[in-house]
Amino acid sequence: MQSQMKESDPILEVENLFASTNNLPILKGVSLTVYPGEIHAIMGRNGCGKSTLSKIIAGHPSYNITNGDIKYSGENINSLEPEERSQSGIFLGFQYPIEIPGVSNLEFLRVSTNARRKFLNKEELDTFDFEELVKEKLELVKMDQAFLSRSVNQGFSGGEKKRNEILQMALLEPKIAILDETDSGLDIDALRIVASGIKKISNTQTGIILITHYQRLLDEIEPNYVHVMADGQIIKTGGSDLALELEKKGYEWTDHFVKET
Amino acid sequence: MEIIEKIKTNKLLEYQTEIQKICLHKLQSNPLPNPKSELWRLSNKTKFSNFLDYSFNEKDLKFDSPYPNNSQSTIRLIIGENCQIEFVEENYSIEQLSEDEVDKYIKEQISSFDQNENWSDLLNLSLSCKKNILGLKVNGSKIPPIEIFSHASSNSLNAKTLVIFLEKNCDVELIQVNLGKENSSLSQSTFFFLEENSSLNHGVVSYGENGSNLLNSLNVIQQKNSEYNLGSLHFKFNYARFEINIKQSQGNAKTNIKGMQITKKDEQISTYTKIDFNGPNGFLDQINKSLADDKSHAIFEGSIIVPKIAQKTDASQLSRNLLLSDLAQIDTKPQLEIIADDVKCKHGATISQLNEEELFYMRTRGVTLAEASKLQLSSYFQEIISFIPVSKDKWDLLDKLLNEN
Amino acid sequence: MVNENLVKDVVKEPYKYGFVTDIETEKIAKGLNEDIIRLISKKKEEPKYLLDFRLKAFKKWQKMKEPDWAGLGYKQIDYQDIIYYSAPKQKEKISSLDEVDPKLLETFDKLGIPLTEQKKLTNVAVDAVFDSVSIATTFREELAEHGVIFCSISEAVKNHSDLIEKYLGTVVPASDNYFAALNSAVFSDGSFVYIPKGVTCPMDLSSYFRINSGDSGQFERTLIIAEESSSVSYLEGCTAPMFDTNTLHAAVVELIALDDASIKYSTVQNWYAGDEEGIGGIFNFVTKRGKCLGKRSKISWSQVETGSAITWKYPSCLLLGEESVGEFYSVALTNNLQQADTGTKMIHIGPKTKSTIVSKGISAGNSINSYRGLVKMGTKAKGSRNYSQCDSMLIGDEASANTFPYIKSQQPNSEIEHEASTCRISEDQLFYLQSRGIEFEEAVSMMVSGFCRDVFNQLPMEFAAEADKLLALKLEGSVG
Repeated sequence: MQSQMKESDPILEVENLFASTNNLPILKGVSLTVYPGEIHAIMGRNGCGKSTLSKIIAGHPSYNITNGDIKYSGENINSLEPEERSQSGIFLGFQYPIEIPGVSNLEFLRVSTNARRKFLNKEELDTFDFEELVKEKLELVKMDQAFLSRSVNQGFSGGEKKRNEILQMALLEPKIAILDETDSGLDIDALRIVASGIKKISNTQTGIILITHYQRLLDEIEPNYVHVMADGQIIKTGGSDLALELEKKGYEWTDHFVKET
Repeated sequence: MEIIEKIKTNKLLEYQTEIQKICLHKLQSNPLPNPKSELWRLSNKTKFSNFLDYSFNEKDLKFDSPYPNNSQSTIRLIIGENCQIEFVEENYSIEQLSEDEVDKYIKEQISSFDQNENWSDLLNLSLSCKKNILGLKVNGSKIPPIEIFSHASSNSLNAKTLVIFLEKNCDVELIQVNLGKENSSLSQSTFFFLEENSSLNHGVVSYGENGSNLLNSLNVIQQKNSEYNLGSLHFKFNYARFEINIKQSQGNAKTNIKGMQITKKDEQISTYTKIDFNGPNGFLDQINKSLADDKSHAIFEGSIIVPKIAQKTDASQLSRNLLLSDLAQIDTKPQLEIIADDVKCKHGATISQLNEEELFYMRTRGVTLAEASKLQLSSYFQEIISFIPVSKDKWDLLDKLLNEN
Repeated sequence: MVNENLVKDVVKEPYKYGFVTDIETEKIAKGLNEDIIRLISKKKEEPKYLLDFRLKAFKKWQKMKEPDWAGLGYKQIDYQDIIYYSAPKQKEKISSLDEVDPKLLETFDKLGIPLTEQKKLTNVAVDAVFDSVSIATTFREELAEHGVIFCSISEAVKNHSDLIEKYLGTVVPASDNYFAALNSAVFSDGSFVYIPKGVTCPMDLSSYFRINSGDSGQFERTLIIAEESSSVSYLEGCTAPMFDTNTLHAAVVELIALDDASIKYSTVQNWYAGDEEGIGGIFNFVTKRGKCLGKRSKISWSQVETGSAITWKYPSCLLLGEESVGEFYSVALTNNLQQADTGTKMIHIGPKTKSTIVSKGISAGNSINSYRGLVKMGTKAKGSRNYSQCDSMLIGDEASANTFPYIKSQQPNSEIEHEASTCRISEDQLFYLQSRGIEFEEAVSMMVSGFCRDVFNQLPMEFAAEADKLLALKLEGSVG
């Protein structure tokens, strides 16, 4: 099955990526390729560079790429603005979704969705049509319409924020979604809702990268590949059984891989 | 002395009103504000002298740019144009104050003026002729919202004065609009007296054109159980000062202020507020926002004074500032002077640019940097604009701020 | 209401350092003119450049006006009625502590600063200054082994003239302000510290200033230089006898930190504050400033100000070096008729500089306690940050607490955050503590020291305990 998938072109290629912030090197040679339909999980201790990798793929201005390339649909995107990446179909689900007081959630979602639709040469939606679309997508994450009239993420509970992220993913229909610890801070019910949302949005044409600490999300969404990161590098790659082994043995088990590399 | 000469040549002494004479006399001993005093030290000297440059003009031209349409539901007054005002209805009345009443009240105010702190008022009152002083007495409730306009004509310095008494239990919404034409100076002084249990929702919107200047002074005296809410917005002035002086004369009153000033190009706009608690149980909630772009300079100085008599005062003052350009600057000084011990007072100040994490978040959702900034700014502005009462929608303030300015 | 009198009693401990040492002193005539300055310089056998420095400062001072912007109320100072040099008579050259007048040693003993070999504090090197001169400096040899120079500034002028000439007046120029100019003209003694490259000073350094004469002013001058990658912690203590006249203390402190160097400067100021009617007490008009010249350098001021009739003092940081750090932690307690106008200036000049200000003012009695501070982001201070927190506590309804933060930014890519609040000791809090069996007085001092916790945490250990005790003593009898 896997070989069949690889007949198509990769969505995302990260090639020997080095990156730093404030002159502090964080990524030290990361390589990763995602084909359509694949689900990758990246695991690792806090501070190993997982979140940085996701932010750099999304184009965070605080990080500098010092070496290596990020290719999306075969094109180098190193110098693209964050909004250009988003419009072309790269989605980052934030570990800590940002609260933006005073900016209405509905308005924000509409501007954002239309930016993506414009890129796809689809007709932009007016407030009326957009509300119809949102209502439909709200079902996916079992959110109440009341969320739309509030400010972006402001006063949302941890679970509500994460569901708002998945709602945005549903609206933007990305080609690749990087979900940074989308499972953290969720109770079991909320985790199920989020996981089923992700599954419904993804298909054979999309790629997903799950960044997580825990097995429990991977119980819901089985990855094709599991990568273990340490000190800015991917030190081991395996199938979904690698995550299970990691769960059993803990990260200490991976420490000797670091020494090897 | 130049300014004194200017006033004198404009109107021979024998034609001056008593108030003009008193103020002129006061000005003579101290023709200009002390540039080293706290209230004037940051004021741009060239711009200030530019304010005084224009020749003084009592009869300004009819305002040529159209005001937004008047509606049936509001009362519209233009200082300098209305002669007879009398609205007497079943549940309210708005009457013009007699000359004697205005004189008496203003004289009372002048007696407690500080030469430096009230310099703008002294200038205003020494220039304002009878025609340009509007005095009103408002009584009752369910009063239609009131709009009051002031403006300065091009190439001239105009002075307008507004005096309003709110009688007991009166409840009113009022918006004051100060417009500056190209190359003009407007001196606007406003005096409000709020009697017991009265309530005023006051909006001040001041905006100019190229090279317009403004000295806007607002004096409010609040009696017991009165409530004064002010939403204000100043933008598009080469040079503007907004001086707010509020006194809760017996405490036990409520004051809410939300003000904003926006500077671009090489403009300088400043806001000075002094809130005096002269009795117990006073309440103040104040926020002042500044935004400075290009080579401009925005200034805020606020002082809260809580003497021993003002026990159980609850006062909060916030100064929030956005600095958007390498060449712009912002000064802010929120200050507290407290003697009473059983009080809750706090203040805060921040200066920063737009929040980078918020911008990034929106950009990862495909919103362009320009749009994301606009969204952030509009929420920054909206908090203030939504506090301005009366027909603010007609003015498209948000649109003016985001697009036109 | 909480029992006013009880709390008032808590703030009212008599001043225990108010004694006078009866010692023969050498004083010059009262008054200030060029001849007096030449005389001081001659007595100290100073090189010409220093005499020129003094005379130039004096010329400037004559043209300056005493500042009045702080609005402090005090009787006009008669600068011709002050003795500008006063020293205990002793042998010309003292080679060891044994030759120091026992009365002086006894004085410092009584102040809790024993200097003799047998009794001296083990972990702190002390420079003891009595009126206009430095009496003794302990642990000099031990420090010399590390290349650390710690001596009186007069000695430094003789032995390390190159350093003095290079740095004196570079942080606080003679013309900086009225009192700094006066100090530059007439400064008598003070401490000098030099930490060489890469050295972490092996022990805390401390100066103890004692004013003994009633009619002489004290004008000490301190200069601390920390070379690349060095660090030092310096403590300063002050007391004076009780006189019914006001004594002028106009000191200047200059700190210089080069690349990666760090200087921590702590003060416990307990000059005589005057009596309950406001008679007597020290006028403490001090200019303290540090220059973070080097990259990643750090200067941290912490102060506990409880004494003096009037305090006028703004220990400041000029943050020039990239990523340099300035800190100011202050507790100022005023009681009776004391006036304190204190705060800091954080001038961000270099990029990525950081500053923190934590100020706690406690005003009791009829005192006036003001925080006055300036935070400025210059055009090149890209990526810089400041955080300020200024809290006031009012005890009784006659005391006043003011906050005057001046904030200025010319750099959009920088952040300034200022917060201030006012509180008092609430009846509920007191009741809660008392209901748990805590005595009233103890409850009050617990609350006050809790209020000051953030600052005390910054003080060196032995100072922190001292400060806590001092506050409790000063507070006796003032809470209501």
